[in-house]
Amino acid sequence: MTKRILSLALATTALAGTANAADLRMSWWGGDSRHEATQAALTACGEKHGHTIQPEFTGWSGHFEKVATQIAGGTEADIMQINWPWLPIFSQNGDGFADLSQMSDIIDLSQWSEDQIVSGTVNGALNGLPVSTTGRLFVFNTTTWADAGLDLPQTWDDLIAAGPVFAETLGEEYYPMEAIGLDAAMIVTLYGTQKTGKPLIDAQTNEVNWTVEEMTDAISFYQTLVDNHVILPWRDQLASGVQALHENPKWTNGEIAGTYQWDSTYFKISDPLGEGEEIEYVGLLELDGQQTPGVYRKASMVFSISKNSDNPEAAAEVLNCLLNEPEGVEAMGSARGVPASQAALSLLQDADAIAPEQADAQSKVMAAEGPAIHPFMEHPDVRSAMEDNLEAFAYGQIDAAQAADEILYGIEDVLADNFDS
Amino acid sequence: MGGDSKYLGLWYVTPYILGFALFTAFPFVTSFYLSFTDYDLLSTPEWVGLENYEKLFTRDRTFSKSLSVTLTYVALTVPLKLAFALFIAVVLNYRLRGIGLFRTAYYVPSILGGSVAIAVLWRYIFAQEGLVNMIITGLGGEPVNWFGDPGNALFTITLLRCWQFGSAMVIFLAALQSVDKTLYEAASIDGAGPWQIFRNITLPLITPVIFFNLIMQTVQAFQEFNGPYIITQGGPLKSTYLLPLYIYDEAFKSFDMGYASAIAWVLFVIIMALTLVAFWSSKKWVYYAGDKRS
Repeated sequence: MTKRILSLALATTALAGTANAADLRMSWWGGDSRHEATQAALTACGEKHGHTIQPEFTGWSGHFEKVATQIAGGTEADIMQINWPWLPIFSQNGDGFADLSQMSDIIDLSQWSEDQIVSGTVNGALNGLPVSTTGRLFVFNTTTWADAGLDLPQTWDDLIAAGPVFAETLGEEYYPMEAIGLDAAMIVTLYGTQKTGKPLIDAQTNEVNWTVEEMTDAISFYQTLVDNHVILPWRDQLASGVQALHENPKWTNGEIAGTYQWDSTYFKISDPLGEGEEIEYVGLLELDGQQTPGVYRKASMVFSISKNSDNPEAAAEVLNCLLNEPEGVEAMGSARGVPASQAALSLLQDADAIAPEQADAQSKVMAAEGPAIHPFMEHPDVRSAMEDNLEAFAYGQIDAAQAADEILYGIEDVLADNFDS
Repeated sequence: MGGDSKYLGLWYVTPYILGFALFTAFPFVTSFYLSFTDYDLLSTPEWVGLENYEKLFTRDRTFSKSLSVTLTYVALTVPLKLAFALFIAVVLNYRLRGIGLFRTAYYVPSILGGSVAIAVLWRYIFAQEGLVNMIITGLGGEPVNWFGDPGNALFTITLLRCWQFGSAMVIFLAALQSVDKTLYEAASIDGAGPWQIFRNITLPLITPVIFFNLIMQTVQAFQEFNGPYIITQGGPLKSTYLLPLYIYDEAFKSFDMGYASAIAWVLFVIIMALTLVAFWSSKKWVYYAGDKRS
């Protein structure tokens, strides 16, 4: 009898080993709604596959540096949420992450289109699977706009005309839009793309496409928005320090009534709104005589597996569960936007789990046209070249032509450092 | 004591020596080597000689700006904090009712230290509609743009550091209490007033502690990171972009660890030079017990 119990215990232990029960870690950035949904999904997937997954989550700010430090030290999480533009930074030759195409027996790769697979591939290695596609859209606080007695704008001219009306009817503290830092750079990029029909950085040639004059024009347009009480001046928005939009009381109470944001951030920016405040994505504002709508669309983020993971198969099981299997998909919902995986999309659509506003925003992103986005548009040094010089311009330290010159010089410098001419 | 006991002390300090070697000496030496390399964190460092230093001193406008901001910050913070800490220590040195409670209360900000929560709190206090502006407007003044105006942002960050005066204050308090009371009695009998007593007896006798606090606070001020990183991220217009923030950005945003190491070494040399100047000057103004001049 004792022998039987002993052999049963040994068999159970051995069985646990073959089931690949593993202790894993997963890291991501996001807001509260994403944190809660992801933890629930990890619990569900962990139970299904017999793994335990330690969550590591932060806000957006500082997450890049955290991941960079972990990767440099070889201590990164087994599964990571990676921003799409980071792929060529962390994996210049495609060997910075595990090659997910080698795990196709565990991960059902047929759920992604060829284009989507290509967008997560670096140098022939599938470094990340797109979680969703995202794009920048204009989103406005319908409550404030209604209080101002205005319909939501469809064109830049509508927006510019709204500035003085806001000041007059609601008060000087009310603005139709905000745009400092990255948002300012995005506005300048959008206007220039619409006007010229060219992306700032060419995705094929890795070269800057705009002339100094074209960039100067785009920067001057930004100033037009400030001068017309459309955008809260840079100096005033920084009066409370650097704050994420969704943490800014001026956004949550409706004083800032619009922004140009990722469609995938719907819940992040709508959840903190005060009672009675509602938002609506309106697509891209039209420029008179535009060459293109200029949508800034990209894989919003990818899930990658660490090349240093001790349990890559277990990590692949969890990754597949999060992206393709009902347990993970249903728990995760649309906290990362409308899923890129067809299986996940069908599951959420069947369960009516995609908010109509979010589905509407996604359809606007997917329907709009625009030139291909270069991943280096969000390279830290490119961002710094744009944001630092736009800030200097906004504070009156340099004029638009000087800012344009400095920005283009800075971007060319980064591209020269990273791509063969 | 047996023969082995001569190694006993060494055993006691072994954990410290190991910790120092691993977490201080090794990174210290490594960073010196890395400062002569091009190292992107993810691949092998490449030797570039003095290139990083050459760029730093000849072509890098951000470094010049950041260095200037850092020196201004230190020049503002250290005297302000020391003066405030000494003032509070003098007040708390009086025998008042409930003085223990006050001493604890004034030390609390230092326990909280340079924490993230305190930096966030500071942001709210000095926000456009924050407590400070509420008081100013309540008194009939105009609200001040504390963080958005480059002329104010550094000062506001400076106040955060000054507010954490507790550790310097406690050291001053201990020094004040160790001053021989008979000297005060003698001075009073000779007709000296409180200010004369403070200036001619108290201050000279606590100069060793002033010197200690000066060195410690200077070193700490040069290494300030949390406040500006959380509140302003170095802005606006890099007006709060202290060198530690620049080092961090170069290392972890631009992936230029070699260059970041070079900046760190320049910062180290500056701190070391100022410390040596302080030690040299201390011969002229610091008085120790038993000193022939005392």
